[in-house]
Amino acid sequence: MADRREALRIIGAIGATCAFPFSSGELYGQHAHPPEGKQADAGKPQFFQPGEFAVISRVADLIIPATDTPGAVGAGVPAYIDMVVRGNEQHQAVFRAGLAYLSSQSDGDFLALTEVRQIAVLTALSNAVDKGDLKGPGEKFFRAVKSMSADGYYTSKVGMSVELGYHGGTVLSEYPSCEVPEH
Amino acid sequence: MAAKIYDVVVVGSGAGGGTLSAHLARAGVDVAVVEGGPKVNTRTDFNTHAMPFEFPDRHIPTMKAGKPGYDSERTRGVGGKTMLWNAVAWRQSERDFKGKTFEGAGEDWPVGYKDMAPYYDRIEREVGVCGNLDHLEDLPDGIFLPPVPMKCSDVLVQRGAAKLGLKIIHVRKSTLSRASRTRPACHFCGNCMAGCDVAAKYNSFDVHMSPALKTGHLEIFSNSIVREVVVSNENRVTGVRYLDRTSMKEGEVRGRSVVVACACVQSVALLMMSKSRLYPDGLGNSSGQLGKHFIPHMTGGVEAFLKPMIGKKLTADEGFLDHAYLPSFMHTRKRDYARSFGAQFGYQNRRSVGWARQLPGFGKDYKQSVKDRFPSYLVFSPYGEKIPDAKNFVDLDYTQKDSFGLPLARRHVFWTDNDMKIFNDMQNWSKEVLLQAGGEILSVSDEPKTNHELGGCRMGEDPKTSILNAYCQSHDVKNLFVVDGSVFPSASEKNPTHTIMALAARTAEHIAGRLKKGEM
Repeated sequence: MADRREALRIIGAIGATCAFPFSSGELYGQHAHPPEGKQADAGKPQFFQPGEFAVISRVADLIIPATDTPGAVGAGVPAYIDMVVRGNEQHQAVFRAGLAYLSSQSDGDFLALTEVRQIAVLTALSNAVDKGDLKGPGEKFFRAVKSMSADGYYTSKVGMSVELGYHGGTVLSEYPSCEVPEH
Repeated sequence: MAAKIYDVVVVGSGAGGGTLSAHLARAGVDVAVVEGGPKVNTRTDFNTHAMPFEFPDRHIPTMKAGKPGYDSERTRGVGGKTMLWNAVAWRQSERDFKGKTFEGAGEDWPVGYKDMAPYYDRIEREVGVCGNLDHLEDLPDGIFLPPVPMKCSDVLVQRGAAKLGLKIIHVRKSTLSRASRTRPACHFCGNCMAGCDVAAKYNSFDVHMSPALKTGHLEIFSNSIVREVVVSNENRVTGVRYLDRTSMKEGEVRGRSVVVACACVQSVALLMMSKSRLYPDGLGNSSGQLGKHFIPHMTGGVEAFLKPMIGKKLTADEGFLDHAYLPSFMHTRKRDYARSFGAQFGYQNRRSVGWARQLPGFGKDYKQSVKDRFPSYLVFSPYGEKIPDAKNFVDLDYTQKDSFGLPLARRHVFWTDNDMKIFNDMQNWSKEVLLQAGGEILSVSDEPKTNHELGGCRMGEDPKTSILNAYCQSHDVKNLFVVDGSVFPSASEKNPTHTIMALAARTAEHIAGRLKKGEM
């Protein structure tokens, strides 16, 4: 690999603007370019077959389950995932391979496993991903489906306003001073 | 009307063009501002208060549906980037203007702090800048409205930094902390960079140009994308040619002088596109220096959760984004590189929740972990100075045209040894400050990114190594001026807009004086 300091970089036509210097500032959905509209609903699944969609929905709901607030399915996350995946061939390959992996771990039917077994399959993948191991199709799939579930959930009305309690900018007549005790 | 010859034709309407045109109009000079984008109504056209779930892709567009404007480089809007800036306003210090004299690195400006101070004063009085008097050698004080209280997260960072001997100060912003006669005070909704719908935050249209329209000396040609500055055989610019953004028809605005102020890279590109018999390599480019010494700011970044705030109740503390700042301090310390860095932090908006996917695990515990950390998430972004270097430049790619048939501008950025030393050091200091503040580090960016585009059309004493003189006037063409980030000979680590506005005020005064004496 070339020495980074010696690498000539052409940044391209669109310049830097005031933006967060992190991938965290971006969402998967930003690159999905769905048709314009002002509704939160990402529409009916167009990429996943009904059986696949059921598995994706189950996995998303295991990643962000219903607690005292709705989980991923209750927030419409599976439809968001379908919207992101339908326009991107790389995502499609990752999801196809991931669904095949889940199938191979469950005698062909992930949904037929008990919840404990389903969680065990995902835990192995999650632990590997958290250690930075993205070699296998299962790991690649888990990272993608978790990222999209988190993006979709925490930008939904349920996730942002009900779960996190954020309702948008509040208008204040004065900014309060902070009273943080010194330890 | 087509035959009208204006005293000054200004290309661009942002911090440079907007400030300069208003100052000229108020001095009785007839000004035409030619802006590539449409007129924008800050009150109604931006998605200032929208939430992500109102849109299928969860991305909040800048403009409301059906409103044209901030969608690409050449079609922004009247007000330029001041519509969407974060309003941080620093004065540069003598060290910033004379870096080569102080340290032997960078390039000296042909003006110093004493030359610029009266214009910083003027801009601060006009637009309202809030801040504290901190008496720092490297960050001169100014004429400030009261500072806005720090956030709780800032107080934590301040205490952590103090353990390292570093001082955290109140941010200084061109945002009203007290109402003025014509503009309300900031209401701390946290949406500054989505377009301030009450103009408490400075933008060049509402604050400078709109009042100046009442003088009858200012005319704005919106939706007019300038493609060429026209030069006569007598070596004088005579006006600009533009394309109408919607009809694509050609038009021309004529003037006794031209000021190019359409944002750093675009100003360089416009001069490069303005080829003529006299200037085959770009207007005013007899030195061959046009596009050279491109010096954007170099940013790093650390994301963290402040442990004392994890699991605490969410409060309405978004404020006007960042309320505090770590001013540059390395010039007082031993180091193996030239120049320095400062850091902005806490300017994340709560609508940005992309960090959630980075937390480990899944299930109930993961969900609780995200909720607990939501009030404690902090972005810390150091900004470093890039030393000018001939390997960093802007040029045009004639093989790639945009939808207006104009060649695309390319940025060539090369991280030098000094750049990487600053980058690594500023990342280390950022991490250390956050750890001392009780931070749980989430991510550390591993390579510099660029922000605040500067240089490419620099000022200087020597016509062989610079494009403009101390009044932002072309060495080659006496009635051509450039006023924006491109004129910076060296970048400092400070957000540049306040200095661009002060330069615009100074240049406007110079042009008005010359016109009065009949020198144009």
